Amino acid sequence: MKRLVTFLLLTLYIYNARAEEKIIILNEGMWQSDNGRISYFENGSIVSNQWFRDKNKKKIGDTPNDIIRVNDNLFAIAVNWSNIVQFIRADGKAVAATEDIPNNRRLCSDGKYVYVTSYGHECETTKGTVYFTKGYVAKIDLSNYKVVATCEVGYEPEGIALYDGRLFIANTGGYAEQEGDHEFETTVSIVNASTMTLEKNIDTHVSNLFGEMSQSGKYLCINSPGDYYETPPCGLIFDCEKALKGEDCYVRFDYPVTYNTTTTDGHFFTVGSAFSYITGSYEFSCLTIEPWTVMKTKGKSGIEEKLPGTLQTDFADMSQPYGIYVNPYSGYIYGSDAGSFDGAGYLYQWSPEGKLLGRHKVYINPGHFLAIPPADWETGISPLMQALLTSAQPVFDLQGRRIENISHMKKGNIYVKDGKKVLRVR
Amino acid sequence: MYVEGRTLMRPCISMKHKNYYLQVILAIVLAFAVTASASAQNPTTSPLSSQELARLDSIQQLHEVTVAAKHPVRTIATSQTLSGADLQALSTTSVADALKYFSGVQIKDYGGLGGLKTINVRSLGAQHVGVYIDGIRITNAQNGTVDLGKFSLSSLESVSLYNANKLDYLQSASEYASGATVYLQTRRPTSDSLSVQFRNGSFFTWMAKANAQFNWKGWQGFIDGEYCSSRGDYPFRYHSEYEDTVGHRTNSDIRYGRVEAALFRGGFSSHIYYYDSERGCPGGIVRRLTGKYTNVGREWDRDFFVQASYQETLLKGLRFKANAKYTNEYLRYCTDYPENQNTARVDNHFRQQDAYGALCAAYTPWSWLSLSTSYDIRYSIMKADLKRFEDVKRVDQKLVFAAQANWRGIQLAASALHQRYSDWTFVQAGAADPLDRWTPAVSLAYTYKGLTVRGWYKQIFRAPTLNDLYYTQAGNRNLKPEYTKQLNFGAEYHLAKNHWQFDVQADIYQNKIENRIVCLPLKGTYTWSMMNYGYTFCRGLNSTIKGHYHIGQWSFSLLNSITWQRDVDRTDPEDEDMYNQRICYSPSFSTGVTGIAAWRSLQFTTSYLYVGERMWSKADPEDILEPYHNVDMKLSYTHNIKKVSLGLCLEVCDVLDIQYEHLPRYPMPGRNYKLTLSFGI
Repeated sequence: MKRLVTFLLLTLYIYNARAEEKIIILNEGMWQSDNGRISYFENGSIVSNQWFRDKNKKKIGDTPNDIIRVNDNLFAIAVNWSNIVQFIRADGKAVAATEDIPNNRRLCSDGKYVYVTSYGHECETTKGTVYFTKGYVAKIDLSNYKVVATCEVGYEPEGIALYDGRLFIANTGGYAEQEGDHEFETTVSIVNASTMTLEKNIDTHVSNLFGEMSQSGKYLCINSPGDYYETPPCGLIFDCEKALKGEDCYVRFDYPVTYNTTTTDGHFFTVGSAFSYITGSYEFSCLTIEPWTVMKTKGKSGIEEKLPGTLQTDFADMSQPYGIYVNPYSGYIYGSDAGSFDGAGYLYQWSPEGKLLGRHKVYINPGHFLAIPPADWETGISPLMQALLTSAQPVFDLQGRRIENISHMKKGNIYVKDGKKVLRVR
Repeated sequence: MYVEGRTLMRPCISMKHKNYYLQVILAIVLAFAVTASASAQNPTTSPLSSQELARLDSIQQLHEVTVAAKHPVRTIATSQTLSGADLQALSTTSVADALKYFSGVQIKDYGGLGGLKTINVRSLGAQHVGVYIDGIRITNAQNGTVDLGKFSLSSLESVSLYNANKLDYLQSASEYASGATVYLQTRRPTSDSLSVQFRNGSFFTWMAKANAQFNWKGWQGFIDGEYCSSRGDYPFRYHSEYEDTVGHRTNSDIRYGRVEAALFRGGFSSHIYYYDSERGCPGGIVRRLTGKYTNVGREWDRDFFVQASYQETLLKGLRFKANAKYTNEYLRYCTDYPENQNTARVDNHFRQQDAYGALCAAYTPWSWLSLSTSYDIRYSIMKADLKRFEDVKRVDQKLVFAAQANWRGIQLAASALHQRYSDWTFVQAGAADPLDRWTPAVSLAYTYKGLTVRGWYKQIFRAPTLNDLYYTQAGNRNLKPEYTKQLNFGAEYHLAKNHWQFDVQADIYQNKIENRIVCLPLKGTYTWSMMNYGYTFCRGLNSTIKGHYHIGQWSFSLLNSITWQRDVDRTDPEDEDMYNQRICYSPSFSTGVTGIAAWRSLQFTTSYLYVGERMWSKADPEDILEPYHNVDMKLSYTHNIKKVSLGLCLEVCDVLDIQYEHLPRYPMPGRNYKLTLSFGI
């Protein structure tokens, strides 16, 4: 009997373990049409292109712009033009929403708080309405889903990441072409996450830090589309640790990285194009970036114009690439094509080696992805094997700091390796 | 990802150099007036009376029709007209309201009194529809569209829609230069009168209007003024499987003033117009958990134009016409308000000036043949305080050669139009290369008794507008013109008896639109740019039926229009999702029925409009705008006490209270009422 139960449990476990590709896709919809939608993809097929509606009998809102995982069963979605941050469970059920964070953009979380950037100039907090001249970061307390603190940063702050207790915010100044009172921003703001005070602004001398911003441990991959006129676009690799120490902390290179993602081994995959209103022409590029090499060689190496398998040609064939993502749990690669922008976009899936596995119709402007942890991930932690320890892939602590010397790892502590939480047992 | 498209789409203009242009206007008006009065006093050069000259076009038409039978005016062009009593009987406040009853017309309306209203004919696109007041085009070099909400029906004699263009003997080249043309014909007063009107409508709408007109020694003229304000805070509700949203429209208020005057004498006509408005630009209704952020922007418009036209027969069979117009438009769009902390703080001013002149000549060597030519020149300047924007100047020249023949019921018209656009600007990307093209049109018809059968073909393009080419962070100087090719076959039949009159017409058509100018995001950049993208193909049927019956003091009218069309995307044969799919916002079926019953001065009108299902995105079969039925009713009564007339009019719009949408999440106001009191002497 005991054996049978064990066998059954094992069978069940194996069955569950197979169901490991679960991807949530945010379809932005069209601005002011209230048609943001969530698609849910599981094991090779789209389960629904209106997942949030199916689960909650209501609409997500206008222009969902970012989605992150807070913990194993809580995800946050920045719904830009609905002025809310919507929280959902892994099964898609709405939990709560934080309201009146106008024109919110991007999210990050430390598990206890969610931080969100906003282009707006005011915010509802537990201490009343706070006003800002420029843009700001709001801190949402997950015990009550209310904004408990804010910090003003640059104009139109976009990407946000957490490293060593600090928030790193890429400022864009993206309304500079419409507003008279400021120019494009060139800074990354560093904000103390616990006190929500601005520690410093790092001037990257690169304007308009707009687009996706990916994090690989202490490294950030930041895009600059330039001003679309004289200033050409470029990419930045930014070292958070060096920034905190006050050292030279970024390397600029001449490729735009409009869409980017972190791979399971800590590299960045990027897709971008350079456009100029003066010439009306643009150039397309796909990169694999090894951030530590880029930092070490000041950009002389570590950037390769390639992506695995057929990714590069598949992206080039799309009418409108709109995002790239690597499932941190499995290494499967996803991309999207927004098509004609008033029609449905497509989700692409590739194997970790870059073999195109499928193309699936989703909804308008599919721009943002999030993998749901596979079933065995929910307990989360596996023992760290010696073989893994000696492999080339970097190890990070839970703050996201890369462990340069593995002998510094403490017994009984949890680390992140190969996209998975591991326990140092010996 | 989004762009604030609205600023791109709105017209704009300038009030600078006021003294300078006032002098210019006075000079133009005086020059025409002097010539007009001089010629009117000289019967040898003007064989026709002033009234006859005024209706010269109609008279020409009547000649040809009289030969065939005693039937109303007919042309070989496909046209629809609402005039006189029918026009006034409709429950309408603006030209856009009247046009929605025409066959083949799609209205785009953002809702409320202040919402931008443009029309699209046979799915060609709003920028292919030329709107003309007394034969002179209302232009907007900036965005190429005309907000029809700005033009009142009260001073108009008729509103006509011509597919392709009108075919008269003496037309300016501009009149040939659009895919469809709307003519607003100003009414020439036949007596002296003074009238005032007051109106109160739903959603705190107040309107006052005054009109004074005269007819004195061959001179006719009027002054018409109107002031209106509306809070526009109508309630709305969205009720579906996924939501039950209720609310009041906010930031949908408008106040406007309009003053216009016209002066006519014989072949001379002139018109001066001024419109000043301030309005809220409401956004789409989207999911919000509080009502805190509602403002999107406000807009101010100041439009001014003065125009004059003069036509004259010099020798037998040789006629001339000259047109002149000066336009000055100003637009301000602002989102920079303390309560508007959620979006870009924009405060842009756009100024546009436009000077236009045309000379036309027509020669009729034999009674069956007429040859004409016209040269038009238009000079436009656009200024804006956008970043990275410099003044743009455009010279637009047009030359047309046209011929019309009419022999034993066979009518043939052919024209060749040459257009040349040249731009000058210091915007960084530089001015577009000059555009230089010829386009043809040909029509053939045969009339036998009351029946006419016709066929026509027209090729025409729209030049990229100044916004398309130069707007900051969107403009693309390399745009090609957007071409339309229209083919039409139709028939019409007229029958008139003592007490009744009956007209029916039906046309089948095929349109191709190439190189559509659209704003598209660019591959992997998050930026948008104007592009030539798309090819659409449209086949359809338009029909109209008009019946009038009068007996004793009763009169009845019944008007019906039907549009059926299939409008598909033919851009990319490899794109299964798009190719041969229906174009967004284009219904496959729509129909309108208007019934008017009158007894003495009591009049009752019911208008019914049905518009079928439209897609608003091609992404999901659920992305549709529901079909809608709209019923408007109007009851009016006029009582005369000696020389004073007192009028009372009650209108109920959208009787069924269906809050349909022309654009998703922009609800229409639903049922609303208007009560109008008028006094006249």
